Amino acid sequence: MDFKKLMLVDDEEGVRRFLGLSLMDLGYEVRTAENGRDGLALFDEFHPDIVFTDIKMPVMDGIELLKGIKAQSPDTEVIMITGHGDMDLAIESLKHDASDFITKPINHDVLEFALERARERVSMRRQLREYTENLEKLVDEKTRRIVELERQNAACQVVKGLSDALSDAARSVEAGGELFNELPCLVSIHNRYLEIVAHNTLFEERLGNRVGDNSFDIYSDRTSPGNACPVQKTFQTGKGQRSKETFLSRDGEEIPVTVYTAPIPGKDGEIELVLDISVDMTELKRLKDELLTTQYKYQRLFDEAPCYITVQNPDLSIAEANRRFVEDFGEAAGRPCYTCYKHRDEPCEDCLVKKTIGDGQSRQRETVVTTLSGEQKNMLVQSAPIHDASGAVVQAMEMSTDITEIRRLQDHLTSLGIMLGSMSHGVKGMLTSLDGGIYRLESGLRKGDRERVDAATRTLKAMIGRVKKMVLDILYYAKSRELETERVDAAGFLRDTAAIAGAKAEAAGVAFHTDLPDDLGELDVDTAAMSAALINFLENGVDASEGRQDGRVGFAARREGTGVVVTVSDNGMGMDRETREKIFTLFFSSKGKKGTGIGLFISNQTIERHGGSISVDSAPDKGSTFAITLPGASG
Amino acid sequence: MPKKIMVVDDDPDIVDYLVSVFEDHGYETCRASDGKSAYDVAMAEKPDLITLDIEMPHEWGPRFYRRLTNEAEFSDIPVIVISGLSGIHLAIRRAVATIKKPFDPADVIQIVREALGE
Repeated sequence: MDFKKLMLVDDEEGVRRFLGLSLMDLGYEVRTAENGRDGLALFDEFHPDIVFTDIKMPVMDGIELLKGIKAQSPDTEVIMITGHGDMDLAIESLKHDASDFITKPINHDVLEFALERARERVSMRRQLREYTENLEKLVDEKTRRIVELERQNAACQVVKGLSDALSDAARSVEAGGELFNELPCLVSIHNRYLEIVAHNTLFEERLGNRVGDNSFDIYSDRTSPGNACPVQKTFQTGKGQRSKETFLSRDGEEIPVTVYTAPIPGKDGEIELVLDISVDMTELKRLKDELLTTQYKYQRLFDEAPCYITVQNPDLSIAEANRRFVEDFGEAAGRPCYTCYKHRDEPCEDCLVKKTIGDGQSRQRETVVTTLSGEQKNMLVQSAPIHDASGAVVQAMEMSTDITEIRRLQDHLTSLGIMLGSMSHGVKGMLTSLDGGIYRLESGLRKGDRERVDAATRTLKAMIGRVKKMVLDILYYAKSRELETERVDAAGFLRDTAAIAGAKAEAAGVAFHTDLPDDLGELDVDTAAMSAALINFLENGVDASEGRQDGRVGFAARREGTGVVVTVSDNGMGMDRETREKIFTLFFSSKGKKGTGIGLFISNQTIERHGGSISVDSAPDKGSTFAITLPGASG
Repeated sequence: MPKKIMVVDDDPDIVDYLVSVFEDHGYETCRASDGKSAYDVAMAEKPDLITLDIEMPHEWGPRFYRRLTNEAEFSDIPVIVISGLSGIHLAIRRAVATIKKPFDPADVIQIVREALGE
């Protein structure tokens, strides 16, 4: 270690000589100066490793010298020499970074010890400096390496991140992630040396693994950097590029693409990398066509399906309705379902959609709806949930199938069944009478009782007549039953009917008012059927008013043109529109277990067969009025 | 002395039939075509047994039966229900038997004999 040059500064010549000799003996190269100013000048020339200086000196004292040296060379060891009682000065010098101090008279051992310590300090400092410098170099090296790695990593990350982002986006749209694989995007990253740093899987599938290749190699018509490819242009201009290009696939096929590039600046603002997203145009077009075809197909299915389809929001407003629905119920989007479809002011009881949105279960029920043109239709309504990507039910679909025809057929079959059922009692009576006739005929013949034989014969004849009529009735019904009309005086007929219904009203404690003037003219009616039909309306009125304060049923008739209008009114519970529209449906009953749902169906049929019509006016809690118009007797 | 049976039915042919059957088996008979007249007939004729239809004009069988059995002398009179209505076996709880139309006359006679303790 180089620690040889020693400068000694003291104003006493003796000290300089004596101490100088001692130091030289210790192997140092010693130069001396007699005051601080000379010492400083010598320091500049000599560059000593260590300085011994007295403190009290003329011209410039030791402390000034110390400051001057430390200002130039902080690492130089400066050891102060002090006399007795100079302790304050010694401490002052230490404040100014003196390394050590020794006292006069100078003890040889102390001198050697001070020198040894100074050497150690210098050596330590050098090692420390070396070590620190090494460390900085190491850190620099490592940092450079990390930055490089980071850079490479970042490039990969960009590609991967982009893929992931696209993939995530695709997944959230179309659960399963299949879509991303079909996304016709070739994504690659290029560095400023026009090399491909990274690319996505699809890129590799189509073009092969091209990492490390030149950016322009992937084009079919570029073989050198001279013909600037979009990536190169991006580096040159610093701006993203967009152009139609042709790639060369791994099989040598040309792939028409639209290339989009984007510069990725580094930390220093220089463009470090370029992102290249190329869209395979052929694939894109194919997908677009496919999508359009599919959309068109679904829209057509939606519109042309032979049923009403609506998509409804949780508040029961219609989000979408198919063409048939709009045709029959008007523009529906945004309006509540119960308004357009059911002409109600509030949601239907047992709303299927509400339940389906509540629990995600499909449901079905039957109902009757009235179209814009006033046509009544029996509907089988089914609801199904519509889920969003996370599986939550967000909307519901309601599909209504027209089953009016089926119902009509069913009604016919059922009415036949009802008729047979209602006749079975009568049939049993007739069979018993026939048995009786035969018994009495046999026993009369056996006994020679002429009178009994005659009576039995009469019975049998009458019975056979009744059986014949009944069989014919059934045959009528099996086709469509003819009415057995007779000409009657309207007033008389209606009064007879009123008498039957009046008894029931009285029993139920309901006031019964009739207004049946004499001059109603004549009617051609099947009196049994028509009477039953009218009684049905009257009994319903009594049922609706029974138990209500001042329950009242009115039965009135008036001439109108050639016909007669019979009104049956009550001040009972009344009906909402939905009930009103359903009342003539077979098996529809608003009376719960008490009703069979047959009465008004048959009444309606009877009146229609007579060429009559029924209009209903009713509101909940206000009562109902049925106006039955019957044509007057003709000819 | 022969027992007397009252036949109540709104169908005169069926009344004729039953009356013939009973008379052929040695019973005396009387007849009524509805619940209302049946009460008066019963009061006048004092029958020992009644065959009763359920569904009749003016007054149905069950109501007539209640009214009649309120009278002390008829409180235990055996009644056989003969009807075409289905589900009638509970219409009159204390009926000795319920016969559905159409019926076999031999069965009716058998039941009548048992009811009269013969």
